[in-house]
Amino acid sequence: MSGPTVLLVEDEGGARRALSEYLERRGYNVDEAATAQEAIRLWDAHRADLVLLDLGLPDLDGVDVIKRIRREATTPIIILSARGDERDKIGGLEAGADDYLTKPFATDELNARIRAVLRRAGGPDADVQGCLRLGVIEMDQVRRSVSVAGEPVRLTPREYELLKVLLSNQGRVLTKARLLRAVWGLAYAEESTYLHVYVNRLRRKLSAAAGAGTVGASIEGLIETEPGIGYRVADNESVSDTGA
Amino acid sequence: MNLWQPRLPRRADLVRVGGLAFLALGASTITIALLRAGIHITYPAPVYLLAVLAVGMRYGTVPAILTSIAAFLLYDFLFVEPLYTLTINSPDEWLNLSLLLAVSAVIGRLAALQADRAREAADRAREAEGLHAITGVLAATSTVAEAAPVVVSRLERITAMDRVWVSLGATPAEERILADTAPSEPSPAAGWQVVLQRRPDGQMRWVRAHVATGSARRAPRAALHRVRIEVAGEVLGSVWALRSRDEREPDRAETRILSAASDQLGQAVVRDRLSQEATSAEIARQSEALKTALLDSVSHDLRTPLATIRAAAGSMLDETVKWSEEDHREAFQAIDFEAERMGRLVRNLLDLSRIEGGALKPELEPCDLDDLVHEAVKRTRATPNKRIVVELPESLSPVLADELYLGQVLANLLENAIRYGGDTIRVRGRARTDGRIEVSVEDDGRGVAQAALPHLFEKFYQAGAPGEAQRRGMGIGLTVVEGLTRAMRGEVEACRSELGGLRVDVRLLPAVVPEELVVPEELVEPAPAASAQPAAPPEPSREVAPAPSTPAGSP
Repeated sequence: MSGPTVLLVEDEGGARRALSEYLERRGYNVDEAATAQEAIRLWDAHRADLVLLDLGLPDLDGVDVIKRIRREATTPIIILSARGDERDKIGGLEAGADDYLTKPFATDELNARIRAVLRRAGGPDADVQGCLRLGVIEMDQVRRSVSVAGEPVRLTPREYELLKVLLSNQGRVLTKARLLRAVWGLAYAEESTYLHVYVNRLRRKLSAAAGAGTVGASIEGLIETEPGIGYRVADNESVSDTGA
Repeated sequence: MNLWQPRLPRRADLVRVGGLAFLALGASTITIALLRAGIHITYPAPVYLLAVLAVGMRYGTVPAILTSIAAFLLYDFLFVEPLYTLTINSPDEWLNLSLLLAVSAVIGRLAALQADRAREAADRAREAEGLHAITGVLAATSTVAEAAPVVVSRLERITAMDRVWVSLGATPAEERILADTAPSEPSPAAGWQVVLQRRPDGQMRWVRAHVATGSARRAPRAALHRVRIEVAGEVLGSVWALRSRDEREPDRAETRILSAASDQLGQAVVRDRLSQEATSAEIARQSEALKTALLDSVSHDLRTPLATIRAAAGSMLDETVKWSEEDHREAFQAIDFEAERMGRLVRNLLDLSRIEGGALKPELEPCDLDDLVHEAVKRTRATPNKRIVVELPESLSPVLADELYLGQVLANLLENAIRYGGDTIRVRGRARTDGRIEVSVEDDGRGVAQAALPHLFEKFYQAGAPGEAQRRGMGIGLTVVEGLTRAMRGEVEACRSELGGLRVDVRLLPAVVPEELVVPEELVEPAPAASAQPAAPPEPSREVAPAPSTPAGSP
């Protein structure tokens, strides 16, 4: 089989078999692990292209598995976690995971997420000209200009920085703390008010520009709120999927 | 009903009575001597009546009569011929003296009765006042433990005791002190212990139980009084009173107050017991009812989707039937939909248990309603025939909330509206005059009967639409809404919607946005095109926004 290899780490047998079956049907090669130790052994042996990781493992903390993998590779990691474990999810995302799914989830949702993180892992963030694109949004990093559907948008330095971080992480979930550290600095990691205010301003400016644009394009859904966690940035392909 | 045993005079009493009689008789004798010498009154003997009156009023009949006899003898000895003997010669004198004796005895008796009555009236007044004070305390407090400290301090004052305490237990060894006017002092080493014996006919008597310290019989001149708290023959405890100043037995009023107080306390103890039993019975009954309601709801609401899932899966597994592609799809859609429904139920159950367990720890931060409302609307599985209208003013300030909780609140309200509403659901936000921010979710369904509105947030409450008794889900979705909203220091209210259905208002505190965030920073001016060129390839293959200084400059 030539499909990508998925390392599926899930301690519960029934769920693991069902997921494994589903993934194999979709053409993935699946490495199954029930414990963190087994996961690390399989990771060392096969270097999967994607890791699906349940955080509640019997032997080690799932976050340790993420850290272990991140020491060596940027392989996409999606956390599978139960509802109410928001702190665990944030911990996992902070440790380097790309996305999360709350159990129980629908398989089509899982499939969409897997495709998004794999696409992201495949291509560079910015093209050769230092241009970042997401749907109708374009950011020219050289000229420090932003436009929506060709309509220029005037941003403040912080708004620009925030948008840059968001556009550089397409197909991923960014925790609030991570965005705050990246845009405002370490001392602001807890100041989520800043983030709320700026994300809203950014959305408003981008929507206004989109509304005025000739294509009438929508930027809805490009930057989504993940309640209690942070923000999810769509990726180009999923935008064109839905936009088409 | 004289329940009082005559008291035996003690030495101190004898000295006092003797002293008064001596003084009164002495003063009368001198007066008589002066009267006889000065103004020659022939028969001044009635002056002694004053002495008898004084003793009678103060000490009662017997001392009065003894004083009369003494007066008789004195007069005879000092003023009747032959002087200084007890012999009487003249029959006149015999008559006079006999009359004096008789009159003085009667006067003494009358004076004593009058004094007794006055004393009794004062005692009664004191007793009534004391009982009133104690009954008042017991009536005003809900438990004996609450009343006891006040009761003992009042008892101490009213009965002039040095220390009073109440303890509960069947025997003195088992008793535990409930209240004590001198709690920090060690238990007293009393000289005497006297126990009040109360007979069914109302007779009361202090009985010396034992001498606490045998040899030092007179050393601690304190008497420890015990009145049993008894109800229907069962001993519940005791009222203890210590009097250390002298060995005076509690008088009648004091005794009656102590006795009545112990009866009242006994009634209160019984009342306490009964109400405790009633409360725990009520709690048991309610929790039983809740358990039943929970089991009913859970089994009904989980069984319904389970039945659908099993039916769908069973059909798929049945090899004797040929299923079309379309049939397969429908069956699996049903399974998926019902599984989702079960997931929602379980999520609400978990939330409910966290709310009830007090395990909610909201992280309150400024949240944008617009953002969360749209997120919640997007996540609902609204069927295409339902229209969700969102009306949120741009100017609405952020609310103080926990994103996850508010998200859950909105999701539950939307699900409710979708399930029971018609085809239009409206979400509106507004700033209230009291400063709170209100978000309302309403539908155009049949709504809820007016009488049911206040109960809507109660656990397992299932309101039917007006005029029907139909089950509305598990009855915990709105309970969760209320619990989470309260945790975020907000409030919820249900009312009738203009659209015709139910409207639920969630009111939250507005968030304070830091000053520096209110004023936006300077805008970024794009770098001049020329200076940017070196970094870019000479021929840009894509169209790059020209970033003109005015929006109108865009092609």
